[in-house]
Amino acid sequence: MKYFLRKLGMLLFTLFVALTINFFLPRLMPGDPAQALLGKMENIPPEQLDSLRAAFGLDSQEPLPLQYVHYLGNTLRGNFGVSFSRFPMPVAEVMRIAIPWTLALMGISTILSFIIGTGLGILAAWRRETRLASLTVGVFSFIRSFPYFWFGLVLIYFLAFKLRLFPIGGAYAVEATRGSAAWWLSVLDHGILPALTICISSIGAWLLTMRNNMINVLAEDYILVAMAKGLPLRRIRSLYAARNAILPSVTGFAMSLAFIVGGGLVTEMVFSYPGVGYMLYQAVNAKDYPLMQIIFLFIAASVLVANFIADIVVMFLDPRVRDGAK
Amino acid sequence: MDGNTMLELIDLRAGYDTVRGFVRAVDGVNLRLKSGEFLGIAGESGCGKSTLAYAIMGLLRDQARVESGAILFKGRDLVRASAEEWKQLRWTGMAMVFQSAMNALNPVLSVGEQLVDAIHAHRKVSEAEARAMAVEMLALVDINGDRLKSYPHQLSGGMRQRVMIAMALILKPDLLVMDEPTTALDVVVQRSIIEKIAELREKLGFSVIFITHDLSLLVEISDTLAVMYAGKVCEYGPARGLFDGPLHPYSRGLMNSFPSLTGPITRMGGIEGRTPELLALPPGCRFAPRCPEAVERCREAEPALLPAGADRSCACWLHGETR
Amino acid sequence: MIKGFLRTLVSNGKSLVGLLILGAFILIALLAPIIAPYPPKADRVETVVALGPPATNEEQIKEETPSADLDILTYRSTTTKDYQKVIHYFPLRAKPSAAHILGTDQAGHDLFSQLVWGSRVSLFVGLSTGLFVTLVALALSLVSGYLGGIVDDVISFFTNVMLVIPGLPLMIVIAAYITMRGVAPIIIILCISEWPYPTRLLRSQVLTLKNRDFVRVSASLGERTSFIVFREILPNMISIAMAEFFAMSMLAMLGEATLEFIGLGNVAVVSWGTILFWAQTNGALLSGAWWWFLPPGLAIALVGTSFVLINFAIDEISNPRLRKR
Repeated sequence: MKYFLRKLGMLLFTLFVALTINFFLPRLMPGDPAQALLGKMENIPPEQLDSLRAAFGLDSQEPLPLQYVHYLGNTLRGNFGVSFSRFPMPVAEVMRIAIPWTLALMGISTILSFIIGTGLGILAAWRRETRLASLTVGVFSFIRSFPYFWFGLVLIYFLAFKLRLFPIGGAYAVEATRGSAAWWLSVLDHGILPALTICISSIGAWLLTMRNNMINVLAEDYILVAMAKGLPLRRIRSLYAARNAILPSVTGFAMSLAFIVGGGLVTEMVFSYPGVGYMLYQAVNAKDYPLMQIIFLFIAASVLVANFIADIVVMFLDPRVRDGAK
Repeated sequence: MDGNTMLELIDLRAGYDTVRGFVRAVDGVNLRLKSGEFLGIAGESGCGKSTLAYAIMGLLRDQARVESGAILFKGRDLVRASAEEWKQLRWTGMAMVFQSAMNALNPVLSVGEQLVDAIHAHRKVSEAEARAMAVEMLALVDINGDRLKSYPHQLSGGMRQRVMIAMALILKPDLLVMDEPTTALDVVVQRSIIEKIAELREKLGFSVIFITHDLSLLVEISDTLAVMYAGKVCEYGPARGLFDGPLHPYSRGLMNSFPSLTGPITRMGGIEGRTPELLALPPGCRFAPRCPEAVERCREAEPALLPAGADRSCACWLHGETR
Repeated sequence: MIKGFLRTLVSNGKSLVGLLILGAFILIALLAPIIAPYPPKADRVETVVALGPPATNEEQIKEETPSADLDILTYRSTTTKDYQKVIHYFPLRAKPSAAHILGTDQAGHDLFSQLVWGSRVSLFVGLSTGLFVTLVALALSLVSGYLGGIVDDVISFFTNVMLVIPGLPLMIVIAAYITMRGVAPIIIILCISEWPYPTRLLRSQVLTLKNRDFVRVSASLGERTSFIVFREILPNMISIAMAEFFAMSMLAMLGEATLEFIGLGNVAVVSWGTILFWAQTNGALLSGAWWWFLPPGLAIALVGTSFVLINFAIDEISNPRLRKR
């Protein structure tokens, strides 16, 4: 319980830090991008001006601490301002459309790559003498060095452009009626290639971590004891080796997840997949600062929550953590 | 060999491959263990006693292997046993207790699960029966049955080691190999574990090979003692005799040394210098460079382990006159 | 210490391959002016020819128009009294040919030359970020791990907090606010998002070392803190710090390429990331111009793999369990 509360406290605090970064970033930037932006835009409607003011604290009479309090209050009330590029749509509305796509794409591909990568890592350590194991490790280490977006481009070029197996971009067939069977099929069809990009690019990270953990665990005395006891190999591999080796993997979820989410965002940009990543790309190009800010907040919050969940999973997997002994 | 012999090692050589060559950690060891006997093996770290224990259990791993010789367990040569034979023999015929129970117990499984899966690996019994066996065994080592649900980290160091002993004895093996089972424990707990082992041996009648660097402890509890130095047995005989008068200068040194208070970095009080590197052994007697009594002959030729009085043997040129 | 470490690296097959690849790329970057056929931003070649006899002169003055689909002059020449200047414009978006083995981009720049010159920026950003981040992490972890107490609490708390704030979105947002001049801003942004990773790892290594017997003995003998930190702890952190250096360099290289690909870098700089940016902006993919976008990515992947290989070896050296049997 103490562990749970500590992790919950950490979650809330990191969320708070993310919020604060979000507040101070535009205010600390040199060269005042907001002023430049204001100069460029003519006839700005008043709502947009307010939104700009909220985002940058422009010609605000309030002192910084008060602005900060107002910002926190607005955030809690879900008031994030209005998008520049999709004026007069509130940025929260823009997010509402984009989030399901990202959650589905990234959620599914991250879980898949975790399962596949971890499984392959277990096997690669268990049968580390074999050629196949070294080959797998080698191939995925190579793939891991690819930039995500470039790997996405390569897949598009060969599988979508040359072989025409998949659509080149987007998330669904525009001509299909939303919600119809044909539409859902098109969603699947459009999702495979970006999901494949994220999956294949990130498997290597899980695989290598799990393999190294497994190799370390396999050298422990309790594995030797399990062998000596004459336990079936499958049981040793799963309950004695993998069960212990996966703990650092789940704990290390934080680091890996931050990378994979980053990679996933760029993958969306390459595939024009209408999720949060692509939205961020458009926001950056349109200098839509309010949208950028909420996207950053959303991504940070999701990664933090995912980490919190991973911490809770560790609590169930590791009795030592449950007792606060570790 | 007579029917009373439990284990016999014949000219056993074992070691491990390194980049610099094969390191022979056990170099031609001959030992015999009678049924019900308590054999103590003493020596500093690096003398090959642990390699010997793992070789007997068939648990040498990584680069380690038996090079030559025989391990006869109840007349059957284990060196040539298949993996399947080993699997059936281990834990039912011979079991092992490791130095650190913390490392030997799986941290994420409860004590009960780990005891029960040893039973299930060898006996076709129901879950309830297996649990009953586990509770019974824990009772023998003075641990309450509701500890089955406990995880290793929830137990004290002494309790963990007693759980390990219960786990080793759960299938009533004939031979128990113990590799420094008390080194990681404090003196009081160490004492209680030793007494527990003696009591259980009375009750269950298994043989014991007890390995430690603490010779003074061994002379109290063993029937027979073997002192190892640099891969070889340098003195062998009844514990009583060795206690009254160690023959080998190394044994004398070990007897005089005291365990250090800082734990694993034990400085041998009685003996100057360090154990030789196995890849760069000195000519002649392996102990000669550190031996306070060494004469010229000791540096020229290696003494063999030869009988030295009733039931005893010793590998030292200085005992030439007794031969 | 460092010498011995390097010797071990060279004797390990994996790291030797890694070092060779990395060395080759560094060589290419250093020798870019020699290896690249043209300067990275050249879109033409100018040749000055002394005036010859009038008969041939007439031929040279002739202006040529290249194939009809390219609405631009490839050749143009101006003639003065004494010499004639012939300007050979590179074709735009050309396919690979003998003159341009990887073709040209939308502005007529030779892509092979850009690839060669681009290695300078990509390697420089990657390695210098890696170095800088590792040094910062070393300093923080030594202070935090060795001093302990409140200093350690504060540093490790902020490390843990920043660790989970996703780096790429943070980099994107920061980059969107500032104007890129040169590559320094990118290096700073990369440092801001990378520092927590090595700091956490190195700190736990300091804690481990601090409890080793030899350090404890020195501490109990009253050795100066600076002696313990620099003579006893630091030398034992070299291999793990090297591993972090390569890991962070790789991350930085990927991060730089990503930022530039999105268009957040300085697009006027020639690097592997900006080549990919221009390829994407000009639809290289859907016009089938694989020679435009494949090579820069492969180059990044190769350098990245060399880092991974070197790190495999370092892992094996510092963790005997990972060694091949």
